[in-house]
Amino acid sequence: MARILVADDASFMRQMIREIVEAEGHEVVGEASDGDEAVEEWKRLHPDVVTMDIVMPRRSGIDAVRGIIELDSSACVVMCSALGQETLVQEALQAGAKDFIVKPFKPDSVVSTLDKVLEKSD
Amino acid sequence: MDLAKYRAIFIEESTEHFAEMSQALLSLEKDPRCEEAIDVVFRMAHSVKGMAASLDYGPIEELAHTLEDRVQIARDAGAVGPPEELSLLFRGLAQLEAMMARVREGEDPPPAEPALLAELAALPEASASEAAAKPPPTAPRAQAGVKAPSATAAARTAPDLDAVRPPPTVRVNTQTLDRFLSTVGEVILNTSQVRTVSESEPGQRAGELSEGLDRMDRVVGELQRRALELRTTPLLRILEPLPRTARDVAERAGVRVSVELRGAELELDRSILDRLNDPLVHLLRNAVDHGVEDPAVRVAAGKDEVGLIVVQARREKDTIRISVSDDGAGIDLDAVRQRAIESGVVHPDLADDLSSEQIAAYVFEPGLSTAGQVSEISGRGVGMDAVRATLESLGGSVEIQSEAGRGTTTTLVVPITAAVQRVLMLGVGREKVALPIARVQRIEECKSESIERSGSDAFVLIEGELVPVLDLAARIAQPSASVEEVTHLVLTEVRGERVALSAERVAGQQQIYVKPVPELLRNVRALAGLTILGDGRPMFLIDPNQVA
Repeated sequence: MARILVADDASFMRQMIREIVEAEGHEVVGEASDGDEAVEEWKRLHPDVVTMDIVMPRRSGIDAVRGIIELDSSACVVMCSALGQETLVQEALQAGAKDFIVKPFKPDSVVSTLDKVLEKSD
Repeated sequence: MDLAKYRAIFIEESTEHFAEMSQALLSLEKDPRCEEAIDVVFRMAHSVKGMAASLDYGPIEELAHTLEDRVQIARDAGAVGPPEELSLLFRGLAQLEAMMARVREGEDPPPAEPALLAELAALPEASASEAAAKPPPTAPRAQAGVKAPSATAAARTAPDLDAVRPPPTVRVNTQTLDRFLSTVGEVILNTSQVRTVSESEPGQRAGELSEGLDRMDRVVGELQRRALELRTTPLLRILEPLPRTARDVAERAGVRVSVELRGAELELDRSILDRLNDPLVHLLRNAVDHGVEDPAVRVAAGKDEVGLIVVQARREKDTIRISVSDDGAGIDLDAVRQRAIESGVVHPDLADDLSSEQIAAYVFEPGLSTAGQVSEISGRGVGMDAVRATLESLGGSVEIQSEAGRGTTTTLVVPITAAVQRVLMLGVGREKVALPIARVQRIEECKSESIERSGSDAFVLIEGELVPVLDLAARIAQPSASVEEVTHLVLTEVRGERVALSAERVAGQQQIYVKPVPELLRNVRALAGLTILGDGRPMFLIDPNQVA
């Protein structure tokens, strides 16, 4: 069971992810509502995986990925993107994100993506 | 997944997002290159899109998406294009808000206007000419420059623009809060019940008991004060949309205005706050529509072509005074005097002796506002008389001052809390009802035979003045007890007219905790609230404005 940090500026999305992953027995150890907070929380919690929204205030999700990867190049970050954000997703993957999930979230694909990246990082 | 839960979060978050978007668009009007503001509009549209998609609200998703794409162009360019571009974004936001209103009602959002979608999706260069082909929403020169509210106000609503984090807060559903307050109310009522019992049984330990009750009263009073504080909300909640309303009205009226908000951080009981919204919107519309002159007229009068409207709130003892001031032409007092004479409100001979303030006050008389002063707010015609009626039913008042050529200031005065009120209790049939003591001028005993009746109307002569008598029992459909020889008349003022309410008994004064009227009785407009008496029976609080 993984310890997950959920970063999204919309509490709507955070709750949705929480509900999906908790149903799978994972634990949401922290939430962040902007990029800065995501990096801070990562430092504090060292979660197994971070779900990271791309569009966030203060510091974008992509920038936050860079910040986290700088601290730990093996950190496991999964981007949350909307349709039409392919370029940004590419940029995030180049910055070190491991994978991405697409909004609106489908529980099955969220779970399988998380399983996939967790398996790899083991 | 519990969709209802997510729908509630969606409504709440989107509503906040729309407010932030509106705020950001207003600051873009001032500075089209404000990247932070462009970013806020973009993120808010993006976020609403994501939530709408998760809940299958296709039309909202589509419009938010189109809006997001449109703002992306501005984001890339580092500025929002010509004024038409901002108007288009404002229209997009207005449509999103309208869709959201439907979701709030539990319905599905209607599809977005295809024309609007097409305009948003078209290239910005093309949009101007396309817009020109349609009936223009505004006269070309009617661009309203609206100043963003003060820095503190902007910071409160758009925390993203503010580096300082607010202290941690907990979000509480208002229903939960009301239940909590209602329980505090029960404690107050129970305490007074215990005191009633203790007083009726004097004994050795009566002194101790009474001392204990005194201590308890103090603690309960403190609890009540704290609990009422919980229900207070910053005025910002209703002041914040005003600059945008002003902008819309100004566009239509072909004038230019700038709105300044002051004192928006002051807090008021939420139940009062909600009811102040319509009156404030009306005052603001009046200021823009009838106060501020055309730019050309203003320039000729040596004024800035942009009219200044200041909405200012300040605290004075237990009241909050919210004034709306414009620097426009002022009220045409001669016209008001003329209308007052024509409609018989004042005798022509007396009219000449009235001060300008007294004449200005006539705009609150029903039927004395000109048709143009009645604005449509949520489908109801709201005139100045309705503004006054609302304020009076809140236990407050309205004041107006006007100076020819210099402008008009209208001030709403409201009590800070309404949940606890001192009331006069009246016996009507087998029931007791309560009247807010603030509304009682005095009480007279009167022999039934001195009430003159003609048909269904009744009058009584008080100080040489014929005052209409309203039978409270009849008004609230209570069977009147046998015709009493003596009746009590409670003198009050309803919309400036003296009225006598007749009741069989006067049952004293009391401080009561006012609860909202149960859903089932909501359409009985005469009932302003409910309390539970010491003996466990309910007592209704009467709104005199609705009885007359």
